[in-house]
Amino acid sequence: MKPVKHTLVALIASALLLVLWQVGAWLLDSQILLPGLAPVFRTLLSIVAKGPFLVDISETVGRAFQSFLIIVALGSILGVLGGNYPLFSAAMRPFVTTLKAVPVMSIILLAFIWFTSGQVPLFSAFLMGFPVMYVQVESGWRSIDTNLIQMCDLYQIDGKDRLIHFTIPSLVPSLVTGARISLSMVWKVIIAAEVLTVPRHGVGSRMQLAQVQLQTDRVLSWTLVAILLTAAGDLLFELLVLAGARAKRAVDRRRAG
Amino acid sequence: MRFEEVSKAYGETVVFDRFSLAVKERTILSVVGPSGGGKTTLLHLASGLIEADSGQVVKEESERGAVSYLFQEPRLIPTSTVFANVELALRSSEACAKVRAQIVEHYLTMVGLWEDRFLYPAQLSGGMRQRVAIARSFAHPSSLMLLDEPFQSLDIKLRYSLMDAFLKLWRERAKTTLFVTHDPKEAIALGDAVCCLSDPTKPLLYQTIDTPREERGIDDGRLLALEAQLIKALLGS
Repeated sequence: MKPVKHTLVALIASALLLVLWQVGAWLLDSQILLPGLAPVFRTLLSIVAKGPFLVDISETVGRAFQSFLIIVALGSILGVLGGNYPLFSAAMRPFVTTLKAVPVMSIILLAFIWFTSGQVPLFSAFLMGFPVMYVQVESGWRSIDTNLIQMCDLYQIDGKDRLIHFTIPSLVPSLVTGARISLSMVWKVIIAAEVLTVPRHGVGSRMQLAQVQLQTDRVLSWTLVAILLTAAGDLLFELLVLAGARAKRAVDRRRAG
Repeated sequence: MRFEEVSKAYGETVVFDRFSLAVKERTILSVVGPSGGGKTTLLHLASGLIEADSGQVVKEESERGAVSYLFQEPRLIPTSTVFANVELALRSSEACAKVRAQIVEHYLTMVGLWEDRFLYPAQLSGGMRQRVAIARSFAHPSSLMLLDEPFQSLDIKLRYSLMDAFLKLWRERAKTTLFVTHDPKEAIALGDAVCCLSDPTKPLLYQTIDTPREERGIDDGRLLALEAQLIKALLGS
């Protein structure tokens, strides 16, 4: 009953958001300031129907996916090193603290000086997402239960067995949390970087071009596309986590005969 | 197993000072004592987790090799099933998965948990978790058993039922066992001998129990007298 109730509340809240948008559009009565729902959805359909739409989407998704993978891989490896070696953690601290404090826009602008417009989103998203992943994995490693480590030592659970059955499962919650937070950051930074650097293709580039021409309906349409992409990415991630947990349970069950 | 003139200090705190104690091969020695009396240090010395500053721990041929340790808490891997928690403790000694599965089945059946082998620790009650830990400690092919107050946090009924489960498995394959507890009753119910720790130089009391375990009643006069002696030793310390 509870999930149904929650879904219902979420649906009502979403509908309320749309109503507020429509009421705002009526009150302002300006296509430039805030176009109504109908024109925006018409524009959205016309954008989707055109060929370049898929190219724009795939470019943005590709950048997000690449930077997400690099963040997860590097954040995990360096996070484990940081968790295990206090000296390494001390050496990483200034980088992580700086990256956490630097405004997104500074990173994007600097990256634009150093790289081509296609690489800027990738680089900026990495710099923004990496500290989150790193900090999560590092603290996850540090909070591995020392009592269980002692148990593994005494019961000679070593090497591959310890890694697969104890170490990695102990890290999974922090890996998932780190990946989840960095994924939602990645979308925002990728699109912001695309807006500023306007690469040939990308959701952010389309937004920027529409804004320059004061096509608010197009800006809003691309914003809706960005929201849907983020939601689809989050959903896919949660489904992967769920499938992973289910697969583990199935393997556990088979092993227990 | 013998602790021969063992000394151990943590900074200024001397836990053992030329301390000697013997545990007869394939018997259970119950060790009672106040907190900070050196009970856990004794277990750590026996397991090799820590080294003595001086003196030595001498083990008989049958006591050398792997150690099984029953902790105060069950210390099960939360993401592994009941089956896997026991089976993992066998991997270092048994390469064949089929044989491992048979051993796990035997011990889980003995503690009454074979039907629950698919469950995870979070799905078990406190008593069931400690049963899994007991099964694991016996499945692990060890030559020495160390028990660090494993029944302490449980209610009296559960405590005795777990002690029964433990003894059932122990009788099947007796190993030299050091059983550390706060509770004199528990110490007398399980031990072939009891001793009280508190003085860093020697055990305050060392007494063998001749009454067979199955004949030890809670109203046995001699055992009650021993319990009183243990309590006095504890209070005196």
